[in-house]
Amino acid sequence: MTVAAAHSPGLALRQVAALARRSTRETFRQPALVAPSVIFPLFFAALGASSFNRATSLPGFPKVDSFLQFSLAATVVQGVLFGSVTGAAALATDIENGFLDRLLAAPTPRTGILIGRLAGSAIFGAAQAAVFIAVLWPFGATVRSGVPGAAVMVLSGGIVALAIGSLMSAVAIRTGSAEAVQGSFPLLFVLLFFSSAFFPRETMSGAYRAIADANPISYLVEGLRELVLTGYSGTAVLQAILIPLVACAAAVMLALRSLRRKLAAR
Amino acid sequence: MSGHPVQAPIVAEQLVRTFGDLRAVDGIDMTVDAGEIFGFLGPNGAGKSTAVRMLTTLLRPTSGRAIVAGFDVATHPDEVRRRIGVALQDAAIDPLMTGNELLRLQAVLYGIPSGKVKSRAAELLERVGLTAAADRRVGTYSGGMRRRLDLALSLIHEPTVLFLDEPTTGLDPMSRMTLWEEVRRLNREGTTVLLTTQYLEEADQLADRIAIIDKGRIVREGRPRDLKAEVGSPTLLVAVPREQADAARAVLQEFGESRPTAEGTLGVGLRDGARAVTDVVRRLDEAGVRLQHLEINEPSLDDVFAEATGHRLEGE
Repeated sequence: MTVAAAHSPGLALRQVAALARRSTRETFRQPALVAPSVIFPLFFAALGASSFNRATSLPGFPKVDSFLQFSLAATVVQGVLFGSVTGAAALATDIENGFLDRLLAAPTPRTGILIGRLAGSAIFGAAQAAVFIAVLWPFGATVRSGVPGAAVMVLSGGIVALAIGSLMSAVAIRTGSAEAVQGSFPLLFVLLFFSSAFFPRETMSGAYRAIADANPISYLVEGLRELVLTGYSGTAVLQAILIPLVACAAAVMLALRSLRRKLAAR
Repeated sequence: MSGHPVQAPIVAEQLVRTFGDLRAVDGIDMTVDAGEIFGFLGPNGAGKSTAVRMLTTLLRPTSGRAIVAGFDVATHPDEVRRRIGVALQDAAIDPLMTGNELLRLQAVLYGIPSGKVKSRAAELLERVGLTAAADRRVGTYSGGMRRRLDLALSLIHEPTVLFLDEPTTGLDPMSRMTLWEEVRRLNREGTTVLLTTQYLEEADQLADRIAIIDKGRIVREGRPRDLKAEVGSPTLLVAVPREQADAARAVLQEFGESRPTAEGTLGVGLRDGARAVTDVVRRLDEAGVRLQHLEINEPSLDDVFAEATGHRLEGE
């Protein structure tokens, strides 16, 4: 009898890599689906740069070369948040059209199937961050921490994408509906706007300030912004990496739990 | 039994699966012997796919047990998955990937060594006649090509037990024949095949043995030839004007038991065989019934199905 190979850590890694390649390839083969998550943040950045440049002289605004430089961190986070919904919607489509069953019928660890799908989102998130930095840098969005800082921003983009992708994947697994995943998108939008993504917390007051103070996205953006405006520092790196990493761990666990529950209920 | 290889590659004992109040599979007992093509025949919603999903570890049985490739599907699902090939209904294939990419992905999922992935994919593409389309996205494939690719995917690790869930549903006759030929070839090479179908001809042509499944239960099981012989007498089908249907029915009852037919016709199993036809025609004439159509059919699997379930599979 011919038997497929038994589980081993090496094989599990190969399987995750193959599934990540698939999800990345799939993402880049749907330009109409992914283009908005690249174009719209750039559009908002351009719009902000032309409309709010004078805001940089407001009290509480940090010292910046331009509003574009100030908003680079927000552009990265905004793009990655929107882009990571695409990966989760693709997982929901896999559930809807039965492709997930094909994967589940294979002797592949269930965790690997999910991580492989999410790894594609992480790669796309990192690529988005790299594109935003590369496109906006020549227009005045100088990253003062240089290439190492830009590399941290790219890494952070990947981790944020993994975190949000996992969170949205939990929705995908529970509902099995790409529409439900897309429907969660406005929540991310609200979360982003009630943060310090577009204006410093020092310029805010009242309830808006209180929400922004409690919103983890504020601290993530501020870490990235410090890399852009001030330079390389341990605190900035920690903020840019640690916050999404903690969120990521929690979200991956939630997605895995959702998958296990779904499979157990079958 | 679990954990130890047994002779028969597929064994189910009182297999049950419920969804809420619905008993989709209601106590199936079956054994598929090595080297057989075993057909599950039944209409949509009969429980065929649910049974296959349990046998392929995609659904947990509510009760009962199943041993596939020597392992219990509930307690050793991974051992089962490593030994079986599965082509599910609707050929769920990612339309954005090419045939070649899908086969290579499948090869990694089944642990084919890196050095052999490329050659194994090429070999299977050639086997199912898709070499020329290997680098085209699956979204551009015809239904027949998708099914052939689906079959190739299920064979990536050369399984000795293969599950095909409605492999030819929706295919044109030519594509269906091509797939049948490939299934026969695989079987000649030693693969045990369990296929589900709602096509009588497919079950008749392909399967060594069939199980007729209706409302979650196996209502007949055996070789197609034996099952047809059990039904015995040929079926006479007559069409008469609607207002004469009762008179015709009374005449036909003299010659045997009535059999379910498509709407607009009456059927009777001729107790004395085909030679009774002239007597039937004479008696209908004497009763003043005007015949619009008359047809005699030797027993078919549809007759077997009708006798077992009280309704016909064809025309549903």
